Amino acid sequence: MSNKILSLIDDLSGIQDAEDFSVQRGHIIAELKKINSEYDKLQFKYERSSKEKSIFSSLLIRTSADLKQVSDNLKVRAEELSTLLTTIPAYVYFKDTSLNYMIVNQSFAELTGMPASEVTGKKIHDIFPGYSNTDYLEKEAYVIETGTALYDIEEEMEHNDRKRWVNSNIAPIRNAGNQIIGLIGISWDITERKLHEKELRHAKELAEAGTLAKNEFIASISHEFRTPMAGILGLSEILRNTQLAGEQMDLLKGITSSAENLLVLLNDVLDFSAIEAGKMEMDYQPFMLDRVLKDISLVMSMKAEEKLLRFVIVTDHAVPNLLIGDSQRLRQILINLTNNALKFTEKGSIEVRIRLAEESENRAVLRFEVVDTGIGIPVESMDSLFRVFSRVRQDKSKLISGTGLGLSICKKLTDLMGGNIGVESAPGEGSTFWFTLPFTLSNLQRNNETKSQPAEPQGFAKKMVLVAEDNAINQRIVSFQLKKMGFEVDLADDGQQAFDKYHQKKYDLIILDIQMPVMDGYQVAKAIREEEKGTSRHSAIMALTANAMKGDREMYLGAGMDEYVSKPFTFEILQKTINSLLGNS
Amino acid sequence: MQLKTFHGDSVKEFKQTWEEQLSVGFSPNAAMIFSSVDLELQDIVSFLKSMNVNVFGCSSCGEFLYDDQKQVISEGGFVCMMMVLRPESFAIKLFNGREKSSFELGNEMGKWAGEKFTDPAILVLGSGLDTDGEQLVRGIQHIRGNDLKMFGGLAGDDAQFKQTFVFSENSLENNGAIAMVFNNQDYEINGIATSGWVGIGADKIVTHSEGNVVFTIDGQPALDVYKDYLNVKESDLPEIGVEYPLLVKKPGLPDVLRAVVNVDTVKKSLIFAGTVPNGAVVTFSSSPGFEIIEFTRNKVIEFYEKNRETDMLVLFSCMARHNALGPNISEEIDEAWQNWAKPLIGFFTYGEIGNNYNAVCDFHNETFTMVSIKEKPDVE
Repeated sequence: MSNKILSLIDDLSGIQDAEDFSVQRGHIIAELKKINSEYDKLQFKYERSSKEKSIFSSLLIRTSADLKQVSDNLKVRAEELSTLLTTIPAYVYFKDTSLNYMIVNQSFAELTGMPASEVTGKKIHDIFPGYSNTDYLEKEAYVIETGTALYDIEEEMEHNDRKRWVNSNIAPIRNAGNQIIGLIGISWDITERKLHEKELRHAKELAEAGTLAKNEFIASISHEFRTPMAGILGLSEILRNTQLAGEQMDLLKGITSSAENLLVLLNDVLDFSAIEAGKMEMDYQPFMLDRVLKDISLVMSMKAEEKLLRFVIVTDHAVPNLLIGDSQRLRQILINLTNNALKFTEKGSIEVRIRLAEESENRAVLRFEVVDTGIGIPVESMDSLFRVFSRVRQDKSKLISGTGLGLSICKKLTDLMGGNIGVESAPGEGSTFWFTLPFTLSNLQRNNETKSQPAEPQGFAKKMVLVAEDNAINQRIVSFQLKKMGFEVDLADDGQQAFDKYHQKKYDLIILDIQMPVMDGYQVAKAIREEEKGTSRHSAIMALTANAMKGDREMYLGAGMDEYVSKPFTFEILQKTINSLLGNS
Repeated sequence: MQLKTFHGDSVKEFKQTWEEQLSVGFSPNAAMIFSSVDLELQDIVSFLKSMNVNVFGCSSCGEFLYDDQKQVISEGGFVCMMMVLRPESFAIKLFNGREKSSFELGNEMGKWAGEKFTDPAILVLGSGLDTDGEQLVRGIQHIRGNDLKMFGGLAGDDAQFKQTFVFSENSLENNGAIAMVFNNQDYEINGIATSGWVGIGADKIVTHSEGNVVFTIDGQPALDVYKDYLNVKESDLPEIGVEYPLLVKKPGLPDVLRAVVNVDTVKKSLIFAGTVPNGAVVTFSSSPGFEIIEFTRNKVIEFYEKNRETDMLVLFSCMARHNALGPNISEEIDEAWQNWAKPLIGFFTYGEIGNNYNAVCDFHNETFTMVSIKEKPDVE
């Protein structure tokens, strides 16, 4: 199995791009299925052997006690038993109170290499000369002295140059007068199980390595996805500003919403791989809760209206408004849960409730509930709901659509922020998804309306911008949007061209794509900053990129850029970012 | 013999695939179907009623289908083999078992088989958790004699132990049996039944039993003895009991295994899949471990060496084997399929009926019971 995993990792690492991935997809899935099935088989063998041996040992020990009534003579009793024990793959032996072997079964005799009759009267060292474990003898003596049975004693022993792992159970044997007259020992060769354990551990390590490889792979193909997505969304936006007939407008809305859904999906996958790789970092900043809720209300009421559902947000008056926390992630969880509620509710309402669960001097725990009147969730599905790729079965065969990532991301996010998440539901009676999150209370006045008024968009008439972008479609989109803001736009097809133009003209803003031929965005930014060193000149540089993994931002800023926007972006985002960059510079 | 096989996990899928096969010009006159009780079996029966086909079917505890296109072991689904057989050389009939003993039910089946052919071979499926598989076999043998070639299994219900079914194209029966007879002149039927289970522990005496119901062992309530010796809870039975059957010693005959299929917690008695006679000497038994796969493999190869030609295979594998081997069960079934590479259909049973190559047929538990069916060349 390990070899299969290794070769699969090789295959994955060899994949160049999305096209290559789609070619190899069938092969990779087939390999994964094989690995999965072998893993299942091993796992079963491993779990089974411990469970089975416990019942087996219980049967044997009970059976040895049966013979109490038959005779006080251990040897006579043991002989009767031993004939029944010939076929058993366990090593079974009887010892008297001086710990001499009285009777052993066939398997035991085969292990020692001498006939069963010759073992009688001998001690352990006579049979296994190299045996040096005094612990085991002490345990046997303990059983004789105290009458207590000992189970699951594991040891590694060496005999005839072969190492093996053995699991033993020792129980006392009493006569009719309840005196201890000896013991029965049942030992299992668990070498194979130990090997399985090792193999499973190894497979697990490799699988973890595989996860890392997978995350890198996702990061690299995410770029491939984002570029065409930027094209679709951007062109849709341009299209919306042209003359469209009613039906065309509807079709365009359809395209935009499909693309947006795809983007959500892509972000889910990226988030998930970031969490898996331990790269997800929270961004704790002061924010106003009512703003977040207002945004959500705007988006969701519209969607609810389309399905003729009532949508309300109820905030308890005790809930503080100015908080410190990651508002983006809070928004993400709320949107995810509300979207789910919308998906599974055909009539009635969706209510978001917020109340204060705990408050101390500078900390508040808020409880958020998303209550729907939808189809509800069967009890047996609840446990697995927050696991990766789990989806509720509506009936035997029908699965509800979705990636199955949303809820597990919500769970990971609440975990990362120190909260909890859960669900209460019954089929046909709707569901309540809830989560709690701790926030730090801001020292600022609660009357915060005066602060952080969004800056009014500024006109950029007559300002010069240079856009370096190798993709013709993206060039068109960006320049269209920039012109709409009032900019005069110059275009460059690669990094070198951009650097040349920088020398020819003074730009108010330089926008650089990252992956470009000849010179990439980093190189251009670095070269510009190098030239500006020691001068008073500081050109505003903004990165425009499809490399949207978290942590990339630091890299851009490190290269000397002032801001960055990830593709695909909306007009609003671009405008807002430029606004804050040029407003501040 | 012409065969088509398919599988799925809903009645809708069953109907669709069946109709697809008809639409490409395949018109079967017989079908074997093994299905989970999760599917609406009555729906399948009603659908097949208008299809002009003889159906031999039962509910299962997991089902499987192997051919060169697919190797499927499923739970909660169905498997189906559509067949074109010589119409004059086979027959199928469903019998209800109400108000008669399993022995009497067997008598009826034996008589009918004799009316159909002077030299029949018979496949049998039984339903009903209280059905005594051994008495069913004895009942048939009482009429047809011990030389009769007979194979089959007891229906399952996905280990729920509530209700099991047999069905034809006309009806669904939760207490009865269905027989498929072949004329030995036209069909060659052979098979094996192999277990690999071993006895453990001291001999015990069954001190009170009636047919397949055991009340006391060594004077103690049978349920208590099981709980005590296996160190399990009442709720673990009958499922654990299926894996640790009683090995019944029969003087002068091979030992047989009898698995617990039902529990009477009030009377503290255990209901076994076959007879456990009053006064019988018994021990507990268990699968020795994953070695039984190797054991089965050798038996299958032995059988293959004697019987290389077949058109199809039917496998009745005890559900306890599935429990004991888990996903590794596929290795056993693979082996059976690969030797002949002919379509194989079967299910996980609550009991098996079979004889080893040319030996007397018996009722078993814990076995891998396989039968090969071959159409003999036409002698015109």
